[in-house]
Amino acid sequence: MAETITQGVPALRIEGLRMVYHPGLFQRRKLALHGLDLEVPKGSIYGFLGQNGAGKTTTLKTLVGLQMPTAGRAWIFGTDIRESASRAKVGFMPENPYFYEYLTARETLDFYGRLAGMPRAERRRRGEYLLERFGLGHAKDGSMRDFSKGMRQRLGLAQAILNQPPLVLLDEPMSGLDPLGRRDIRNEILALRDAGCTVFFSSHILSDVADICDRVCILHEGRKVAEGRLPKLLGQRVLEVQMSASGVPKEGLHEAAKLARRAWHDGELYHLLLESEDLALKAKEAIERGGGTLRRLVPHHESLEEYFIRVTREGDVARLAGAEEGSAAPEAASAPGPRGGLGA
Amino acid sequence: MNVWAIAVNTFREAVRDKILYVLAVFGLILIFVSRAVGWISYGGELKIMTDLGLAAIWLFVALISIFIGTQMIYKEIDKRTLYTILSRPIRRWEFLLGKYCGLLLTSLVILAALSAVFLAYLKLMGAPVTGAILQALFLIFCEMMLVTALAIFFSSASTPVLSAVFTFMIFGVGQLTKWIVDLGNLIQDQAPGMKLALKLFYFLMPNLDNFNVRAQAVHAAARGSGWAIPPEQMLSIVVYGGAYTAAVLLAAALVFRRRNF
Repeated sequence: MAETITQGVPALRIEGLRMVYHPGLFQRRKLALHGLDLEVPKGSIYGFLGQNGAGKTTTLKTLVGLQMPTAGRAWIFGTDIRESASRAKVGFMPENPYFYEYLTARETLDFYGRLAGMPRAERRRRGEYLLERFGLGHAKDGSMRDFSKGMRQRLGLAQAILNQPPLVLLDEPMSGLDPLGRRDIRNEILALRDAGCTVFFSSHILSDVADICDRVCILHEGRKVAEGRLPKLLGQRVLEVQMSASGVPKEGLHEAAKLARRAWHDGELYHLLLESEDLALKAKEAIERGGGTLRRLVPHHESLEEYFIRVTREGDVARLAGAEEGSAAPEAASAPGPRGGLGA
Repeated sequence: MNVWAIAVNTFREAVRDKILYVLAVFGLILIFVSRAVGWISYGGELKIMTDLGLAAIWLFVALISIFIGTQMIYKEIDKRTLYTILSRPIRRWEFLLGKYCGLLLTSLVILAALSAVFLAYLKLMGAPVTGAILQALFLIFCEMMLVTALAIFFSSASTPVLSAVFTFMIFGVGQLTKWIVDLGNLIQDQAPGMKLALKLFYFLMPNLDNFNVRAQAVHAAARGSGWAIPPEQMLSIVVYGGAYTAAVLLAAALVFRRRNF
């Protein structure tokens, strides 16, 4: 990427970010963020997950200066977000991006290029390149009124990476797109990471996040409920273990089958589904004692969706328990956001 | 650089909006209709034509400034187009100033176009065209500088309807500030509190009547005199307009700085 980045400094650091909305005189204040701490390493793809109203968009808007935090601080490559210079290192794509309808796609990118301080020749070259790359070449001189949602989304990504910023913040980049559109955006995110860019994006399409993210943070009602590298988070809990063995005498097989949730015979192989790694080890010993040979042992970890549902439920339980003990802050009970399913 | 980029974009938005042309055509029609009013009046047809023409230009440029200005910032927030602008290394006051300059540029171009047609029409009709007319046109522009700033101020804090109501109210009251002084003099000492309140109101409201030298310009042109008002008076009006505009824009920037989008 074009920017010179200070070595050893994270792409993004957030400390105690808190946002309280005061809607009006007679309305309850709303707590959108409850002291968020976060660090995004350089060159990673970071997924920012949460239900609707969890505080994802609030965080992103705060990072790019669209909202003023009630408390807390954040730095982009070491520059405080309160300084407008921090935004020179960021490309931002809002959710469902809107553009001036009286401009063409080419004029739109030229306008954003001017705001980014790009020279005219560079604006033209980069704009043309991105329009072609995002499959908008045929519509570059057409009115923005005729752009479909998918085309707007692609133009949104193009304007975010126009000046090749080292950090790209994307708010729900795959929202409302068809499978092909989602695949294109996913591939672009991967290409950005390969080019050395850090990508921080919010989403509630968990399969997309699981496919491409190095790290994730799960936000629930303004609080961080989980954070870390995906393989580590999902590898912590084994839901079941599938075992396959051959040459097991009937008495040994019988002993192992008692430990399994399910056991069935398939030709030469005998399969077992076990509830935990401990049981799997015991079953393995039983099989080997009986003269059998272990052929396959596959632990099944939680999927991201299962993990997400579990930690958000645990977050609810902890919050309710805290409220019962009277230890919860008064605003916590007024935290905004629907409690429905993902993407509801 | 940022201010200029936003100003050019705002100007482009305005010139690609059909409403602008509809209003401009109405302005032109009124300039030409002023001739007809001149015919039906007794004597001084050319003076009436000049007077009505100047009033038509003033009214239509004011309408354009208020209508576009009061919608401008709200539209950016409502359509969420400002998300991709303010998320760049641009300060909020730069954005606001860019929008203001873009609209002022639009008003200037419209004023220049209407003035060119008007002056050509006056010449064609044999009416005298002197520096006094140009002075009146220039002060219309100075007034629009202030009115546009007011429209932007309200637009940065409120909805288009409320902004338009407030701007029109101040625009109307601003034309009548002399009456406020007269009213204060009538009250005399019977209600000193009221008199003080009126005085305060007079100082707070923009004195837009200052910018209206149209009647003087018509008379001066008829006499063949070069100036509607002396240059030193004109300078003081321009300084007053500039200072008031700067104060309103500063207030708009302060309001806009703390807003969450």
